[in-house]
Amino acid sequence: MLRIQNITKIFNKGKEDEVRALDNLSLQINKGEFVVVVGANGSGKSTLMNLILGSYAPTSGQLLIDDNDITPLPEYQRSQWVSMVFQNPAMGTAPDLSVIENFRLAALRTKSKKLSIGNDEAFHQLVKEKIKTLGLGLESKTVQPMGSLSGGQRQALTLLMGVMDKTSILLMDEPTAALDPKSSAVILQLAEKINRELGITIILITHSMKDALQYGNRLLHFKAGKLEHDLNADQKRQLQLNQLYDWFG
Amino acid sequence: MSQFYLAALQLALCLSPMAIGIFITMKVFNIPDITTDGSYTLGATVTAVLMTAHYPIALVLPISILAGAMAGTATGFIHTKLKIDALLSGILVMTALYSVNLMIMGRSNIPLVNLKTIFSYFNGMGNEVYGQLVMALMMALVILLLIIYLLKTDFGIAMRATGNNPVMTSALGINNDRIKIIGLALSNSLTALSGFLVAQYQGFSDINMGIGIVITGLGSVLIADALRNWFHVKKISMQLILVLVGAIAFQSVLAFTLSIGIDPNFLKMVTAVFVLIIVALPRISSSMSKNRS
Repeated sequence: MLRIQNITKIFNKGKEDEVRALDNLSLQINKGEFVVVVGANGSGKSTLMNLILGSYAPTSGQLLIDDNDITPLPEYQRSQWVSMVFQNPAMGTAPDLSVIENFRLAALRTKSKKLSIGNDEAFHQLVKEKIKTLGLGLESKTVQPMGSLSGGQRQALTLLMGVMDKTSILLMDEPTAALDPKSSAVILQLAEKINRELGITIILITHSMKDALQYGNRLLHFKAGKLEHDLNADQKRQLQLNQLYDWFG
Repeated sequence: MSQFYLAALQLALCLSPMAIGIFITMKVFNIPDITTDGSYTLGATVTAVLMTAHYPIALVLPISILAGAMAGTATGFIHTKLKIDALLSGILVMTALYSVNLMIMGRSNIPLVNLKTIFSYFNGMGNEVYGQLVMALMMALVILLLIIYLLKTDFGIAMRATGNNPVMTSALGINNDRIKIIGLALSNSLTALSGFLVAQYQGFSDINMGIGIVITGLGSVLIADALRNWFHVKKISMQLILVLVGAIAFQSVLAFTLSIGIDPNFLKMVTAVFVLIIVALPRISSSMSKNRS
């Protein structure tokens, strides 16, 4: 469970260009929820994501995961609870390393990286089987550099990498923004499957209103750093596309 | 093979740990580290002082390596904890090391005459030069194999990923600062190892022996980089082997320069021009092919 308590984030505090990106936000996200977050540019969605990930420190407030106060922890220490799928597929992978080496690191996210070769045949086989479930034919490309794959392929692999090791929350910051419709569908269906089968909490930011209605069981709408709407699964099912567009009016 | 080229080959093998160290900072971590000039002299200085005090080589070797690691750690701390640019951090430590080296030596030069060196172990082979060559080759290969193994381990993959995409590694639970400090310590310990070898190879340690040595290591790495692009080498083990090849090629060019009678006083300039050519050639040829098309 993720608890966001009275979080405020101000950029350039006290300067002429001061921006209040999040304003006294309190929110609870329960284990296993698939939360979709929408809002106009500058509404605070990505700031929220970066605060959870640890890229930004809040100006005030507290963040708790399963009753652990993660507010003072740096990004690399939060990785024992949180994994991330970035908007840009290039951000979530090391392009010069092979696919299998990227997966090896992902598999060790919460473990120590030892002076032994863990990238053995058994691990290779495990990764191939996981990649095969994508149905993209990438299982034959495990020794290729990650950078040689397309954006969509890399993003699908990043999503799999996100659940290679135990994780409580999977953050997805506009993961389909740079992808074609077919690749986007693969990514979001895979996210849905991960949420359903592994019970991992997912927080997805999207600018696609269609995707916002189709995926997830909770919908959050941010406006000017504040939470404007918070719809549960039933309310979300009844929501119409034009009503959603009206929120942006 | 003429003595000129044999000496160049031996020097290249002695300098190859430094080249591998520069490969680690420059290519693995993407950090321009010039602590090298100081840590190379530090390795030689510690070696000379301990050897003239008749400490066994088996003890001198790890102490020299440790001294280099400490220099690298200092650069790493300044860069990561004080958030000072890596280049400036290296310059600061390198500058401080000049005084440290002078303090350790107590004078500007220590000769290593009539002392048993690491190269003395193979003197029984009949030919002293070949004996020295075998020892230098053994040292270079041991270091090469150890670093190849390291970069293939889980920790090594984390090191390579940190230089390649620090945003990703941070999200994957890697403390980028800590791993950079370890990388800089490792790199400078390898540089100090080269200082340890070269001091014994040339029979003295001098306070100025490290000036511009980073260019020699850089040249070896750049030759390796050119060969890597040329042959489309992807494997990390092959990239490291190419660094060794680069070190040998670099020293061979310098030996050729001397063999055709160029004044040794111009050797540093020849080195700089050679590195400039290696760096500039791919850019010039690509801009020429663009102009043609």
